[in-house]
Amino acid sequence: MELTGDKLKELTNAIEDEEDDDEELDETLVERLIGLTEMFPDSVRNAVCSAGSFSWKAMQWSFSFSKSAMWVAVSAGTILVLPVMFENERAQMLDQQKQQEKQILLGPHSAMSGPGMVPPGMLPPGMVPHPHQWHPPPASS
Amino acid sequence: ANPSQPSSLTPPPSTDVPPELKIPNVFKEEVSNNPGTFEELHRKCKELFPQTFEGGRFLVSKGLSSHFQVSHTLTMSQLSPQDSGYKFGATYIGTKQYSPSEAYPVLMGDIDPSLNLNAHIIHAFSKKVRTKLQSSVQEGKFMGQGSVDYLGDDFSTTLTLGNIDLLNKTGVIVGHYLQRVTSSVALGAELVYQRGPRVPGGEITVLSLASKITGENWLFTANVCPSAVAAHCCYYHKVNEQLHIGAELESSLMTRESVGKGCYQLEIPGGNAMFRGSIDTNWTVEAVLEKKLMPLPFTLQLSGTANFANIQKSQYRFGIGLVLG
Repeated sequence: MELTGDKLKELTNAIEDEEDDDEELDETLVERLIGLTEMFPDSVRNAVCSAGSFSWKAMQWSFSFSKSAMWVAVSAGTILVLPVMFENERAQMLDQQKQQEKQILLGPHSAMSGPGMVPPGMLPPGMVPHPHQWHPPPASS
Repeated sequence: ANPSQPSSLTPPPSTDVPPELKIPNVFKEEVSNNPGTFEELHRKCKELFPQTFEGGRFLVSKGLSSHFQVSHTLTMSQLSPQDSGYKFGATYIGTKQYSPSEAYPVLMGDIDPSLNLNAHIIHAFSKKVRTKLQSSVQEGKFMGQGSVDYLGDDFSTTLTLGNIDLLNKTGVIVGHYLQRVTSSVALGAELVYQRGPRVPGGEITVLSLASKITGENWLFTANVCPSAVAAHCCYYHKVNEQLHIGAELESSLMTRESVGKGCYQLEIPGGNAMFRGSIDTNWTVEAVLEKKLMPLPFTLQLSGTANFANIQKSQYRFGIGLVLG
């Protein structure tokens, strides 16, 4: 069969297409992506690049800074604040224990009054046990 | 008496002063007559600072009579091996009493097996005149210092002589004067004259000024030295019976150093514990907890200090001490 004009054109197109396909298949995916970036102007490319590297470095720096800051805060707190908290809790627990013992020993009302307590039933009627505070002397008639 | 009055059951209130009236008086009573000596200017704030130590400390103190007391101290420290060892100390308190808390003369001394000796004698010849002698012998070298205080009605003066060597004409002479100006302000000055081989130019004189301002429950003291452009200020505040806070700022332009320090002292009455903590601008955190182990007269001291100046190489030191008696 003779290669007439149309057929020749068809064949050369097909060959060119194949060659184009070969050229396309020779590029890897990364090269194609890099090729895509050439679509953007230089300034946009530089800006995006520096923003990306800055945010990566910032994340690294903030992670290491928060590590150190947390360590300083926790160890300084252990030295400065922890013993006080423990001692306060211990004192409170001892107090509670003493109050419970008093309660068990002397009945449910004794735990409420302070050191000036009077056993129930010992007061003449009409008087209230005086809490241990300074009051101005009552104006006596 | 009317039986409905509760007064028969309560103790007479005449001896009890309510705490609200007491707090301002505690300060004003101490200073209304005399502003105190110059050396005691920053003392109220400095007492709040934790006295940290490293390693182990064991102190046994025994009173042989109401006037005489003997103590044995064992110090075990890795950071200061020259301080580690045994020390024997004795204290004698005399019979002259000018006020319920002070008795004179006071003789104190301690000595260790290498024959390094420290000795103090404090005596009050009268209510207004006090003398103090301090001497120490370290590795064969003798250093002595003596001072005389005169406490007047609203002023105090002190003369101190230190390391006077008449043959070589070296020594230090210090004069102090502190005068109460109003009921809450006291001003003073200090003059130091030093002569010696290590002094640039052979002799040097330094003048510094001080002031002490007292408030209802706070105290501010400042010490300024114009020639060295240095200042040392302290602030003390009593928040309540258990919590006292203080702050100190020391800065000198000649040595180009400036340090600020904040501290607090918290007393936990129910737990027989006393806690002092401080934090300063050299990135250092210090704390000391003293706990009385009650049925026996023991005191346990725990001390910790942390320095974060170089975060990669931060230093931590802890100490434990036990005081018997």
